[in-house]
Amino acid sequence: MSPGEAPLPARFYPAGGDAHGHPARLAWDGGMLLVQPEDSPALRVPASQLRIEPRGFNHSQWAIAWAGEEGATHTHLLIVDDARIAPLRAAAPALFAAGDTTRRHSHRRFRVGIVLLAAIPLAFVGALLLSVEPLAERLVDHIPPGVEQQIGEAVLAHTRAAGPMITEGPAFDALQAIGKRLARPGEVLHFHLAARPELNAFAAPGGIVVVHSALMAGAGSAEEVAGVLAHEIAHVELRHSLRQIVKSAGLRIILTGLSGDYAPLGGWAAQLGELKFSRDAERAADARGLERLKEARIDPMGMLRFFETLAVNTPSGPALLSTHPATAERIDSLKAAIAAAPGAPAQSIGIDWEPVKNDLNGPPGK
Amino acid sequence: MAMDIVDYEIFGNEMQYVEVELDPGEAAIGEAGVMMYMQDGIAMDTLFGDGSQQQSGLFGKLMGAGKRLLTGESLFTTVYHNESSGKRRVAFAAPYPGKIVPVDLSQLGGTLICQKDSFLAAAKGVSLGIAFQKKLGVGLFGGEGFIMQKLEGDGMAFIHAGGTLLEKTLAPGETLRVDTGCVVAFQPSVDFDIQYAGKIKTALFGGEGLFFATLRGPGRIWLQSLPLSRLADRIVMASRMAGGGGKESGSLLGGIGLGSLLGDDE
Repeated sequence: MSPGEAPLPARFYPAGGDAHGHPARLAWDGGMLLVQPEDSPALRVPASQLRIEPRGFNHSQWAIAWAGEEGATHTHLLIVDDARIAPLRAAAPALFAAGDTTRRHSHRRFRVGIVLLAAIPLAFVGALLLSVEPLAERLVDHIPPGVEQQIGEAVLAHTRAAGPMITEGPAFDALQAIGKRLARPGEVLHFHLAARPELNAFAAPGGIVVVHSALMAGAGSAEEVAGVLAHEIAHVELRHSLRQIVKSAGLRIILTGLSGDYAPLGGWAAQLGELKFSRDAERAADARGLERLKEARIDPMGMLRFFETLAVNTPSGPALLSTHPATAERIDSLKAAIAAAPGAPAQSIGIDWEPVKNDLNGPPGK
Repeated sequence: MAMDIVDYEIFGNEMQYVEVELDPGEAAIGEAGVMMYMQDGIAMDTLFGDGSQQQSGLFGKLMGAGKRLLTGESLFTTVYHNESSGKRRVAFAAPYPGKIVPVDLSQLGGTLICQKDSFLAAAKGVSLGIAFQKKLGVGLFGGEGFIMQKLEGDGMAFIHAGGTLLEKTLAPGETLRVDTGCVVAFQPSVDFDIQYAGKIKTALFGGEGLFFATLRGPGRIWLQSLPLSRLADRIVMASRMAGGGGKESGSLLGGIGLGSLLGDDE
C-alpha cells in the first residue's frame, strides 16, 4: 500500500463466495488495486483486468469486477460507495470514463423524462384552451332561440340588479322610437335604458340592447344614438355576445373541471355584462350597423359623429371606448364606407334631443 | 456525531411494538404519533426536521422538513431524551398489522433505502433523507413512487412493513422479481428496476399488473407480504359502504355484522 493514501472501505464478494460479502479496504499500489479483506489474505489485481461500472440505486455505487482464477464463469466483485470513490478515480480516471458516461446519460434521461412528464398535462391543458374557440363557434350555431332568450334574460336580470332602470319618460320613449325605426319588419328587439354614469351600451343574446343613460345624455342627436344602437343590434344579429358567453363559459367549465370545484360555475352568468369583443367582431358590427342605418334611412354621419365625440372629448377613457378598441381606425374605415356607398337620402328621426337630455340630466330616477 | 447505542426489544406477533432502552443521556427519535408509552425521566421534545444534526439556520431546517413532507412523513419528529440517572424505556408501536424490522445501519455500510412511510424510530443521530428515484419507469411503475426514504448513520433504526417480512441477502447478480409495492427496503448496492410482465394476457388477467419490480444483488433486501394499500383496498371492497357486504344483507346475522365474519372471506 502506498503511503499517505487512505484505504477505501468497500464490500468484497469473492468469486464463488457467499452472498453476504466481506468488508474490505482498497488502495492503489503502483498500477495494482490492493484489496485487503478483513478476514482473508490481501489480493493484488492489475488495473488492466478491472471492469468498473456504476451500479445500485440511482447508480450510487460502483462495481469493480475482475475474473476469478477458477475460470471465466465467476468474477470477483467489489462494491464501493460513490461518495468514497474519489481517490480511486483520481488514480485511474481512464477506468471510470465509461461508467461516468453511463451515469451522466441515465441522469440526463431522467431529467428529460421528468420534463416530458410535466409537459404532457401542460400540453393537454393547452390543447383544451385552444379548442375552446372552435368548439364554442360550433356550439353557438346549435343553440336554439329559446336558450338564447334565457341567457339574455339572465344578463338583463344582472343589469337590473346592478342599478336602477329607466322605464318611462322622454329618454325612454326616444330610445324606443329610435329602436323601432331601426328594427326590420318581424324582428323582435328589446331596448332597455339603465341609469348608469358610464358612457356605454351593450348587446345581450335574444335581441336585447341595453343603453346607459349617460350615453344618451352625452349624444348630440337621435341620429348619434341610432348609430350606437345599429352597431349593438349588429352584435345581436351576428350572435357575438352569445359566442363570447359560450367561449368564456367553456373556459370556465374546463378550469373548474381541472380544479374539481364546480361552485364558481354558477357565477359566470353574472359577469356577462362586461363582455369584450374582438376587433374583427367590432369591425363586422360597424359594417352591419351601417347597412342597417342606410336601410332605415338614418343619416350615418350621426354614428361617425358620436364615435368622434367619444374619441376626442373624453380623455378619461369611457367604458364604450375601452371595450371597443382602436376607435380612430374604426372611424377611418367608417368614413371610407360612408364615402364609398352614400345610400339613399336620409330622413331625420325627428326627435327633439334637448328634452331628452334635460330628462336625463335632471334629478336621478326620473 | 457518534450515534447513541440503543438496546431494544420487540413485542407482539402481527401488531408489534418496539421497546427501546435508553441509557442516561441517550436519545431516540420517533415518527410523530407512534409513541406508545414512556417511563418517568424521559423528556419529550418535538423537533422541526429530523434532528440528525444541528442544521445550519432556518434554511437547513426548512430543507429537512421539506424532505419529510415529500416522503410523506410528518413535518415534526419527536426526540425522546433520557434525562434521568438510570436506564429508561420508551416504546413505539407500529401503525398497522405487520412487522417491525430492526436495522443496524453500521452493519449495512451506513445507508439504507426504504419505502416512504416505513420509518418508525431510530437512535438519535440517524438522518432521515429522501432518495429520489432517478429511473423514470421505476418511479412510475415500480410501486414505490419517485420518492424513497434514505436512512443514514451508524445507529439502530426501526422500520415497519405490512404483513410478514422477508429479509434476504442477494448474491452478486442474483435477481428477484417482486410484485410492485412489496419492496420495503434495500441496500444502495441493490439495483432496483422494473420488468415488463411479458404477456398482455398475464398483465391483464394475472392480477399482478404490467410490471414486476426487480431487485438485483449484491445486497440485503426486505420485502413485505402485505402492502398497506392492498390491505386497505380489500377492506374498502369488503365494506358495506362499497356494496361488498351485500351478500350478508339477507342473513339473520347480517344486521349485527357477524355475517361478514363468518361468510365472505375474500
